[in-house]
Amino acid sequence: MLFNSFDFLAFLPIVLVLYWFVVYKHIKWQNVLLLIASYVFYGWWDWRFLSLIGLSTIMDYFVGFRIYESQQKSIKKRWLWVSMLFNLGLLGFFKYYNFFIDSWIDMLSNIGYQSENTWTLQVILPVGISFYTFQTMSYSIDIYREKLRPTKDFIAFAAFVSFFPQLVAGPIERATNLLPQFLNKRNFTYQTFSYGIKLMIWGFFLKLVVADRAAIYVNAVFNNFESHEGLSYIAATILFAFQIYGDFAGYSLIAIGTAKLFGFGLMTNFKRPYFSASVSEFWTRWHISLSTWFRDYLYIPLGGNRVAKPRWLFNLFITFLISGLWHGANWTFVIWGGLNGIYLIAEVLIGSKNRKGILNVFITFVLINFSWIFFRANNVEQAAYMVKTIFTVPGRLYIGSGDDIAASMYAVLAIIILFVVEAKKEYFNTLFSISGNRLEVIRLGGYAAILFMILYFGVFGKSQFIYFQF
Amino acid sequence: MNINQYKISFYKIIKFAIIVLMVDFVVGSISQKIFYSQETGKFARTTHTIKKTKADILIFGSSHAHRHYVPEVLEKELNKTCYNAGAEGQQLLFHTALQEMVLKRTTPDVMILNIDDSFLYQSQVAYDRLSDLHPYYEDHTEELKPILEMKSSLVDLKLFFKSYQTNSTIVHAFRYYISPQIDYKGYRPLYGKIIPEKIPLNKEENTTKEYVEVIDPNFVNALKTFINNAREKKVHLVFVTSPTFDTRDYSENESFLLIKDIAEKQEVPLLNFFNDKQFYKKPELFHDPSHLNDKGARLFSERLADAILKMDFSKK
Repeated sequence: MLFNSFDFLAFLPIVLVLYWFVVYKHIKWQNVLLLIASYVFYGWWDWRFLSLIGLSTIMDYFVGFRIYESQQKSIKKRWLWVSMLFNLGLLGFFKYYNFFIDSWIDMLSNIGYQSENTWTLQVILPVGISFYTFQTMSYSIDIYREKLRPTKDFIAFAAFVSFFPQLVAGPIERATNLLPQFLNKRNFTYQTFSYGIKLMIWGFFLKLVVADRAAIYVNAVFNNFESHEGLSYIAATILFAFQIYGDFAGYSLIAIGTAKLFGFGLMTNFKRPYFSASVSEFWTRWHISLSTWFRDYLYIPLGGNRVAKPRWLFNLFITFLISGLWHGANWTFVIWGGLNGIYLIAEVLIGSKNRKGILNVFITFVLINFSWIFFRANNVEQAAYMVKTIFTVPGRLYIGSGDDIAASMYAVLAIIILFVVEAKKEYFNTLFSISGNRLEVIRLGGYAAILFMILYFGVFGKSQFIYFQF
Repeated sequence: MNINQYKISFYKIIKFAIIVLMVDFVVGSISQKIFYSQETGKFARTTHTIKKTKADILIFGSSHAHRHYVPEVLEKELNKTCYNAGAEGQQLLFHTALQEMVLKRTTPDVMILNIDDSFLYQSQVAYDRLSDLHPYYEDHTEELKPILEMKSSLVDLKLFFKSYQTNSTIVHAFRYYISPQIDYKGYRPLYGKIIPEKIPLNKEENTTKEYVEVIDPNFVNALKTFINNAREKKVHLVFVTSPTFDTRDYSENESFLLIKDIAEKQEVPLLNFFNDKQFYKKPELFHDPSHLNDKGARLFSERLADAILKMDFSKK
């Protein structure tokens, strides 16, 4: 089920009413309801893949106990490996199997050995697999690190793994933050409830108005790149920067807002990333739940920055390379991750990690946009062609034809609104506020105006969220 | 259970809903006024077709209809009034909806549906572009509901909001207010001629197809409905295919073969100008390989008028 669907509009109030009015007396029944709702939410897309979530849940539930109860470190480690191999095995099979086989065959053919590819399989990528496998792995790792005790409450654990607001596209929650919330009583308060709704409204604005409007121009250029030239590539890349931000930050806000309606607090996933003055800072503001996951479970175990400088730089690079691969089974994502790794290494080497100022914000935005070309391109050849063309054939700017022109104008208008709101939060946070205004008419009127803009300028198709594919 | 917190939330939600409805009503009504005040552009033409035209001959179809049928020529040759209701990028579902809205108000003598060979093939954009009909939903719920429900569920709920009815139309309105898009009774001529050497050899591959070659039963039903609607109102219906620059082999085009079959069974005359020798490979008559220029459109309209005259439509 998609957040931006009318199915969800019917689903959410039903679950909320049952949750707060029917099963409100017992945490256990509330968890049962959330578990069923989460499985319905996921099964709406493809019920067959519920078995994977179920398997992952059962596996980590039992492995958690084995790790915790084992007396010897070596046995604990062995059980941790069981969890890791299982979850990474799921991910590897469904997401990366065909990619590695294809790449292997391509490599052989490049060195002159022609082989018929009979190994690839018709595998559908289950929605959200990268998110829930990482979430369950964090549970096992945290028990291994003795940061967490395993829960005996299987329903609470299963609801934690499959919690529908963040199941398919995050934020990737840590068991240490989310699991205890399933074990403790949730209270209904007007403050939390209204804050949840406000986050959802702004999230829908980001998705339906900013991201989906920008997508029309972006797709017109990237999916037909042979017909366009450098200036159009630049415009499409900048719009893509806002498309992916609106799409993913929008999803995260809807997820966080939805969780709040049920009395849960999820971690912040985006903090105005395009106001970062360095790439290092960007990665503390963009997809925070994933970047901190990689920091805690990969970068630091590799030694982090407490090693010799060459090894430190290697750790940075390899972390971003793997982060790139996490985003998709395509060399474009690997290059995108590698580029970000190179940016960070350069910042370490020239000592510009802690830059400040508008000029540095602009430079960072340009660097990040350059990497987005690889992220959005359909293949490496396309990305290389576009980069070359940007520097050699600026050409003329495509402004769209027919309805595309209007779409671009709406996208620009939406981005201006987004920019004003975020710039205000970033630099003038104490000034006028709609959500925190003491006048109720401004608070309610402000959010009514955003809803109006969604209805009036939003794209109401059947668009997926980009991060579903990861 | 904190009853007080529930009560506060409930009242606030009601207040918020009222404010949302008020904003929607006020701004949505203004937007509707702006929408209907358009004098040129695609929405103005559709509005004119639905609300005003009394023409004896009405032309339906996509860009090929819009760019190939010259009302001035048809009026002169057939001695009847004519309006070109062709809508660029639109397909059968749209044309059928438009026809139903027109027939509710007026009954022309002749309706011409320009047939695209791919009309019956599955096409997502055909559904997506039905949103151009949203502004008319309030006045034509009966005609539009069955068609819009093919695109998405809960049509009534979505189109309850006035601002959603005119979603994404404001830029069109201002654009054509600032720079009017002139048409001649719905016809907009194309100028210039094609240079054959500049047509890519593999143009089929270079063109992004908006359809997949699988028959969509909704489109088949729409075509049959179009025929039945005309028959019920005793309107003479003619299917016409427009000339193209290149010769094309339609012998294996499942969509076109089915259209021909339906036309034959329902006794709808089909004037087939595909591969017409007077047009093909005549660069001076074409703006691009699938669209005639003004000169070509005038010649085509004359040829069409001659063919219609031979049908003797004076007898109803």
